[in-house]
Amino acid sequence: MTGVGAGAAAIAAIARNTFREAARNKVLYSLLFFAILLIVSALALGELSLNEEVRMTRDLGLFGIDLFSVLIAIFVGVNLLYKELDLKTVYTILPKPIARWQFVVGKWLGMLVTLALQIVVMGLVLALVTVAQDAPIDAGMVKALWLLLVNVTVVTSVAILFSSFSSPFLSGFFSLGVFLVGRSVPDIRLVTARIGGSLGRAVDLASYAVPNLHLFYPSGAIIGARQVSIHGRFVGADYLAMATAYGVGYSLLVLGLAVWIFRRRDFV
Amino acid sequence: MTVTMTSSASDVVLRADALAKTFRIGFFRRRVEAVKNVSLEVRRGEIFGFLGPNGAGKTTTLKMLMGLIFPSAGRAEVLGLPVPSLSAKRRLGYLPESPYFYDYLTPEEFLDFIGALCALPAAERRRRADRLIERVGLDHARGRPLRKFSKGMLQRIGIAQALMADPELVILDEPMTGLDPLGRKEVRDLILELRREGKTIFFSTHILPDVEMTCDRVAIVIGGALRNVGPLGELLSARLLSTEIVLRAPDADPTLSRLLLPAGTRRFVSGDSGVGLELPEPVDVDAFLRAALDAGASVLSVSPRRESLEDLFVREAQASSSPPPDPVPAVRVAS
Repeated sequence: MTGVGAGAAAIAAIARNTFREAARNKVLYSLLFFAILLIVSALALGELSLNEEVRMTRDLGLFGIDLFSVLIAIFVGVNLLYKELDLKTVYTILPKPIARWQFVVGKWLGMLVTLALQIVVMGLVLALVTVAQDAPIDAGMVKALWLLLVNVTVVTSVAILFSSFSSPFLSGFFSLGVFLVGRSVPDIRLVTARIGGSLGRAVDLASYAVPNLHLFYPSGAIIGARQVSIHGRFVGADYLAMATAYGVGYSLLVLGLAVWIFRRRDFV
Repeated sequence: MTVTMTSSASDVVLRADALAKTFRIGFFRRRVEAVKNVSLEVRRGEIFGFLGPNGAGKTTTLKMLMGLIFPSAGRAEVLGLPVPSLSAKRRLGYLPESPYFYDYLTPEEFLDFIGALCALPAAERRRRADRLIERVGLDHARGRPLRKFSKGMLQRIGIAQALMADPELVILDEPMTGLDPLGRKEVRDLILELRREGKTIFFSTHILPDVEMTCDRVAIVIGGALRNVGPLGELLSARLLSTEIVLRAPDADPTLSRLLLPAGTRRFVSGDSGVGLELPEPVDVDAFLRAALDAGASVLSVSPRRESLEDLFVREAQASSSPPPDPVPAVRVAS
């Protein structure tokens, strides 16, 4: 096998190995355990609310999935390339017939598969809890989970970018910063519009460099002159397609930058 | 110095042409020349030793050949293909220095992963992994995660992964490091076996006896510069350095005092309770032995001592304090 086939096989091998590494990482299981604990605790918290058990379960469940999937994305993402360099495993892998970009893309894909599986597991637990409350599982829940997957795709790509040139601590710090700012992009733009002037315009322009992660957690936001809610009318297919295209596009751009940095490095 | 050899260009498996690497380190971007203008050729089917003390630039040179480090100047080719390139990497196997692998994998999983990177079909990966695990003596460690491997076992699985793609050229960075004497012998035997299979082996080391026992040709690198390249027999001086004579005499000191010892003679204690004398050249050994016998001594052994690889190594290291010839000699191949 040569050419494209060999390249695809090499990327798949790296992705598979990345997934296997995550699957054997006890820290990830701990995070998953806490996420599930949070979702299940919604059952008990729901009992404390008056006729709002299902609302409580959905809100708390999606919050838990969002929080823990982002934490896992940052925790694993910042170590993804750094660990290969720190432990020198890269010295064995890169002399094999694999290009550096294929290595980075393979790591990224393996990470995404890991996160997708984690979100599926957490989503299934949330669905079970919802069913236990005699509430239906609607399309809105599935759409919300899909948006959270796109969200962690962006966060993982940002974490990989930082890990291509920085230590895990700094990468984690920067990635968390990008996540927090990214979730606040609409608020930042609102503030900059009020400030006005050159400072307002400069901050507004800068906000476009940060991923607008609020797109992936839209419940409660006003979209198209109406409020969308996970408890009522959620986003439509057109929004889903737009948000997915934006998330994937931003991720590929950031990943491209990570590849560019990684390709230029000397592995001393 | 120019070493001229008679071989065709197609025989050349690895060619480095004026490779150099300068690192910029520290806040002030200080220049450190790790490798200076290294040119060499490795020919098909030979075992080539890349010798040098720690910090000589061996690993940096090998990493440039592997595409892990970008040269500041010069170029390299594997089987006529530029490095780094995927087509070149498909035809070589590499063992890094003090290798570290994914410790959550078992040897079978690790070799399967390496085989997948080399785009081998699944059945072939399993077959080769099985054979290589047996070949490097890790049968007993099947199913055990690599984190539970000793340093020697990691070195063995490292050699196995280098051979997974059945490469024409095998490049090993310090393959004997961390191995016990038995392990070193096994690796030496494996290297010789690989040559018998028609493979070319290029390995770096600072363990000289391993080189003397295996290598057809060597290159000596010191301070980042190539000091010497050629067959061991040609590099080592055929000149006699000294003669070691072991005598036994009932009363050693009076006997020796009756002998006229040449200036510079060194006495040493021989293991067989004899008295050892190292006579520097030039010396008339026959006349000395006759005198010793006349004085009542018996001769236990006479050993002429020629230059060893260690002597050559030390000589080159000492010479390196003076600037190396510029440009560094290339191995020229007369076609």
